[in-house]
Amino acid sequence: MSEPIIEVKNAKKIYKMGKERIRAVDGVSFTVDKGEFCCLLGTSGSGKSTLLNLMAGIEKLSGGQILIKGESIGGMSENKLSKFRQENLGFVFQSYNLIGSMTALENVELPLVFKRVRGSKRKKLAKRILKQVGLKDRIMHKPKEMSGGQQQRVGIARAFVSKPDIVFADEPTGNLDSKTTIEVMELIKEMANKNHQTIVMVTHDRKLSEYADKIIHILDGKIESVEIVDHHESPNTAAPPGDEVPQETPVSETTAPVTEEEK
Amino acid sequence: MRIFDLIRMGLRNLLRRKARTLLTVIGVIIGTVSIVVMISVGIGMNESFEASVMQNGGMTIVQVSADSWSEDENGEWKQTLQNLDDKVLDRLRQIEHVKAITPVINNWNMQLFSGKYSTWTQFMIMDMDCYEGFGYPALEDGTYPNKENSADAIYIGPQAIQGQFQYYDGRRPKTKDVDIRTDQLSIKIQDYQFQVNPRKKEFEQKLNNRYMIQASESGYSQADYSCFIDIDTYKEWYKKFANTLKISDRKKALASLEKYETIMLNVDNMNNVSEVQEEIEKLGFKSMSDMQYIEPMKETAEMMELVLGAIGAVAMLVSAINIANTMIMSIYERTKEIGIMKVLGCKVGDVRKLFLFEAGIIGLIGGIVGIGLSYLVSWILNTYGGQIFQSLMSGSMGVAEGSSFSVIPFWLPFFAAFFGMMVGVLSGFFPALRATKISAIEAMKSE
Repeated sequence: MSEPIIEVKNAKKIYKMGKERIRAVDGVSFTVDKGEFCCLLGTSGSGKSTLLNLMAGIEKLSGGQILIKGESIGGMSENKLSKFRQENLGFVFQSYNLIGSMTALENVELPLVFKRVRGSKRKKLAKRILKQVGLKDRIMHKPKEMSGGQQQRVGIARAFVSKPDIVFADEPTGNLDSKTTIEVMELIKEMANKNHQTIVMVTHDRKLSEYADKIIHILDGKIESVEIVDHHESPNTAAPPGDEVPQETPVSETTAPVTEEEK
Repeated sequence: MRIFDLIRMGLRNLLRRKARTLLTVIGVIIGTVSIVVMISVGIGMNESFEASVMQNGGMTIVQVSADSWSEDENGEWKQTLQNLDDKVLDRLRQIEHVKAITPVINNWNMQLFSGKYSTWTQFMIMDMDCYEGFGYPALEDGTYPNKENSADAIYIGPQAIQGQFQYYDGRRPKTKDVDIRTDQLSIKIQDYQFQVNPRKKEFEQKLNNRYMIQASESGYSQADYSCFIDIDTYKEWYKKFANTLKISDRKKALASLEKYETIMLNVDNMNNVSEVQEEIEKLGFKSMSDMQYIEPMKETAEMMELVLGAIGAVAMLVSAINIANTMIMSIYERTKEIGIMKVLGCKVGDVRKLFLFEAGIIGLIGGIVGIGLSYLVSWILNTYGGQIFQSLMSGSMGVAEGSSFSVIPFWLPFFAAFFGMMVGVLSGFFPALRATKISAIEAMKSE
């Protein structure tokens, strides 16, 4: 069952801040298998979000290579990348990133609009998926008229509407309360399982990583450890090792950017 | 993106900021109206000027006179006597762009008689085959006469005789209305520089009134007020008249037929008049044309048109800056949206197209509404602007009756709509380019 859909090979991202070079992602290598729920876990400033953006082609690699479905993301032209995103990638954001002037339905339709899907078909698909996320009676509402949880459901519907192979989620529950967080996470998991889709999620919340099949611990732009979660156990009892480390301690260590003189 | 979706999204974005869009469109409307009205006024001035010139005579006519006055470099008037005969005529005929050429004799010494009633009128004697070539007025009926069928036809300008013949019986003049189609007319030559032989019968040429041809009004004054006789017919008659003179004067009279007062040329096109005049100059003859005097005035009028257009263009430029400003503002506002669109797979080209479309639509709508308003403004000018323009233009040039002050030619609305759209697209170009360069990640972070 395990064929790698994402291969990250020695990926590097270096920001220049004046004379300093900040190694946000520093030689990371791992693979994500098809249908896997992969979680990039790390404190803020650890470089996990940057890594996600690199994988999605939103940011350019400074070095190394990222292959998605065997194609190198770094080598794609702007247009090719747009096309590739239309076909293969979906996104869920922390701040939902819905377009305020559009209704829920129109927001969900948007990826299909770029994909040149015809209006009637588009509407049908968007309505169907909005129903799946439980917003049947909210389709004509604008984002401002909805709660955070509802907005994120729209975001999820938008990410899944074109049935992409991979959905990237950047702190999808960061702005939600704990009850809604569980609902949203269950929803993502459910949607992904239905079509055997791959999820790559970034979070700093140790609890959320329980949903994942694979947890990649990121610290200072490097992989600290990779953890494979066995879901045959009951998720409640699965308190992964090393969990007891308080969140605050690594934060203070990692917020100082790692700088090195050498190339 | 499908084109339909692009249009829908663009229109929706414009409607989202109604006030701003409206203000920008109003800017374009003002720009369009000013440029269209300014150009139309320029064209109107030019046309009314040309019309007023046309009233005074054909613009394409060049005259070479035996007795020619011209101004030299020092501004002094100088008389040049030129010998014009058939040889000169042939040489002038060779010049390119000459459509028609004829010698012209102006004869004031001929009288038309109807019984004892008579009238003096100006006779222009020229080559009959050239009437049409000189654009003389259309005939009331029939076609222009020609040498084969009616060499002795007389062509009468509508204002030349007006049917008023007089007879002075010693106490008071009596008048008689003559209908040239029915009354028998004859012609007499009375050239007092020659002495008549009293023993000979007085020259009187009976006219075949079948060939009295009345022309309709042309607005071209010279043709309207003259009668025309073919030069060969005239020469024949003049020879008969010469026979009635004393022997000593007979030769002189016949010799006078060899020399022409004027040779008149008609040039195929107004723009070739000066070229033809240069050619005539090369042959060693002085020539005159109305164009000579009109040229500088025409230049002034064209200059005026240009200046007016430039004033309009300034308004258009301002509205272009306005569009660019609106689009830049719009991009700042929508930075995040653009970022989201890009991440969701919107092509860079589509982002650019979207912004160009929005800018173009502002320009196009402004252009179209502007054209509509221009017609209104133009109508108001033509209806109520009379006095203003009269006082504006009276200095340098006359205003022809019934002419318009503002003329919108058929191409101007199309030009203006296209121009408005181009202004929109061009001023939207750099903002659109900027939109495509927005980094998705930065854009999404912005709020």
